[in-house]
Amino acid sequence: MRKTIMEACNAVEREVAKVLLKFSAIDDHGETVLRDLINHIESIKKELENGPPDHELTQCQIQVLNQAMTKVRDTVQRLATDHRDLHSTVSKVGKAIDRNFIADFASTSREDVFSGPEKTHLLNQVICQHFYRQGMLDIADELASEAGIRTEEGRKEPFTELNHILDCLKQRNLEPALEWARNHREALLAQNSSLEFKLHRLHFIRLVQQGPAKQGEAILYARKNLTQFVARYEKEVQSLMGTLMYLPNGIQSSPYSHLLNPTLWLDIHDVFTKEACTLLGLSVDSPLSVCINAGCTALPALLNIKQVMQQRQVTGIWNGKDELPIEIDLGKQSRYHSVFACPILRQQSTENNPPMKLVCGHVISRDALNKLTSANKNQFVSRLKCPYCPVEQNPEDARLIYF
Amino acid sequence: MSDVKSLEHPTLKVPYELLNKKFRSAQKTLDREVSHVQTAANELEKGLVGESGGVASGEITRLLGGVVARLQVLKRKAQESIAEELQAGMVCKRRLDHLKEHANTAPSAVNQWRRQRLDRMLVEYFLRKGYYTTATKLADNSELRDLTNIDVFMVSREVEKSLANHETTRCLGWCHDNRSKLRKLGSTMEFNVRVQEFVELVRADRRLDAVKHARKCFANYDDYQLQEIQCCMGLLAFPVNTELSPYKDLLDEKRWERLIEQFRHENYRLFQLASQSVFTVALQAGLSALKTPQCYSVNREGKNPSCPVCNEALNELATTLPFAHCSQSRLVCSISGKPLNEYNQPMMMPNGYVYGEHALEKMAQENNGTVICPKTKEVFPYKKIEKVYVM
Repeated sequence: MRKTIMEACNAVEREVAKVLLKFSAIDDHGETVLRDLINHIESIKKELENGPPDHELTQCQIQVLNQAMTKVRDTVQRLATDHRDLHSTVSKVGKAIDRNFIADFASTSREDVFSGPEKTHLLNQVICQHFYRQGMLDIADELASEAGIRTEEGRKEPFTELNHILDCLKQRNLEPALEWARNHREALLAQNSSLEFKLHRLHFIRLVQQGPAKQGEAILYARKNLTQFVARYEKEVQSLMGTLMYLPNGIQSSPYSHLLNPTLWLDIHDVFTKEACTLLGLSVDSPLSVCINAGCTALPALLNIKQVMQQRQVTGIWNGKDELPIEIDLGKQSRYHSVFACPILRQQSTENNPPMKLVCGHVISRDALNKLTSANKNQFVSRLKCPYCPVEQNPEDARLIYF
Repeated sequence: MSDVKSLEHPTLKVPYELLNKKFRSAQKTLDREVSHVQTAANELEKGLVGESGGVASGEITRLLGGVVARLQVLKRKAQESIAEELQAGMVCKRRLDHLKEHANTAPSAVNQWRRQRLDRMLVEYFLRKGYYTTATKLADNSELRDLTNIDVFMVSREVEKSLANHETTRCLGWCHDNRSKLRKLGSTMEFNVRVQEFVELVRADRRLDAVKHARKCFANYDDYQLQEIQCCMGLLAFPVNTELSPYKDLLDEKRWERLIEQFRHENYRLFQLASQSVFTVALQAGLSALKTPQCYSVNREGKNPSCPVCNEALNELATTLPFAHCSQSRLVCSISGKPLNEYNQPMMMPNGYVYGEHALEKMAQENNGTVICPKTKEVFPYKKIEKVYVM
């Protein structure tokens, strides 16, 4: 796929390069030609001026002048024609774009979905939150004022604090994060979080990195802050204390050199974001970014199927408001819910058609179950053979399950 | 097909249209200056054919000076015009360079590219919505000015503003600048603006001026807009407060708003911009691809705070969109977030809820052989858990 993108870009770029080349050429050429022409005329003029004032021109002079004027007319005319001939080069760029990129990308979407003042307002709220979350406060504020969103709708508060803490972490200032972790200790423990320990660990590492001069301080810090974690992180605490042995020669050349890895600082950024978002009931990634990235993955597939459907003149299927016409794989990270698709009907389960577990453990949808049962209805007691194993059973024994 | 090919058409097409426009205006300038030079040359040649035989050198030097001056103007204008064309070409090139960066597969580069893409989309969305300050700020903040079509919209902003103030000059200027293209598109913009001018004259009770205006402006349209012109002329006979359609509609102040709408629309067409923004198109596709029935389940247990469609506002926006299509079950353990498959078997509690084997085993170890359903808080002994088979 990446290859085709490069091909598409290169195809357009070739045409653009031609445009740039030819225009530079005509620029240079035009300049030279016109300069020479001007010099030529000026030299003729000077010659005339050098002669006696208002003398009559000789036949020879008139001939020179006539030739000069023909030259002027031809040269400038050619210049204009040369420029006009570049039109095909220019329009080839447009054609290359149309050939390699899709103009009617909007053909799969409906214009009414986000229109109207209410929808616009909701969408603007989402965008506003996105900017608060990205820490682009001034842009969020600007949008809020231009689009008429009240700040409480933009949910500014948690992000302002979190972004401040994250900024400090980027500058390797642990204090605000530590304070936040202390304030939320109970809740963090409830979600089995390692955040506070990891913050203290980084602080400790920073102390021992400064060599023997700071070892006293490091030991004091460990006594004060690390003891509470021994139960959960015994191994880690041991290795942290182990570094003290190697202080004089530097930790770089010790078995503990991995503790100096700068990725620990990047990790803490992610750990903090994740823990804080879970605690506040927020999603870890911006919902808007996730949606747009998903959309950019989905759209090419949707456009493709639309094209195929048009070619085969299968219209109407697109009107289906219930489901997209094809499955789109967004990758593991974007699976937020379990989806059960009935293996018999190849349909997603719904509240009206939920998954049912047969006695043997196989799961099918209720509609499929009913269909299989009614096929055997003429018997006095309805029996059902599982479609996937030999077990015969009473369909009444199937039970509703929840994923 | 790929995301770049499907979504980036306007990113390239708009600067191309600008380049094309620059080319046409450069050609016009060149043609004009060339004809000036030729006139000067012709004049000199005429001077050389002296009437009484002799040709005075004084007169000829003066004419020669004229030719040189014209040539110099041509030289300057040619350089200026070509420089502008080159600049427009460079914009195309820069955008291509940006699109090619997409090929960089390092995770940080991918993320950065995607973030920029979202910002680019948002800039365009803001511009279409008329949030010009936010758009400019975002473009400057994320250094996207070269990569977004902000300048095109800034021009249209001025026109829209003047139309909102009930002024027509700028809009007519725009029509004039893009005349040939608009004609190709079959645009009625200029005609509608002219009608509005006529209506305003009638409103101000300057009916004779209105007639003069009609004579001047409507004469060129008569073949295909005859009916509307007749309506306009009919308006002359009615008072300003008439209740009679279509004259009442012509006098409606809302007609100005419709002109603004039409202008926006035509401006999009001029630059081959779609009527919807890339942002809303991508958002729709994304919401649909993520939308599951659980996002709309009545009990809150079904929702996942990390799922964008479960987000309150997006949830409402996605109401009318189709769900994702899924013909193969995709199960996730809601305790661990890990997929359920042959390595992490789905297990059912006696209450019918299904979780992953690993998560339940771990829970049983920590709780002396009992498991707690996170959704209903019921407690069961681990041995009551049954395997389920999902094909």
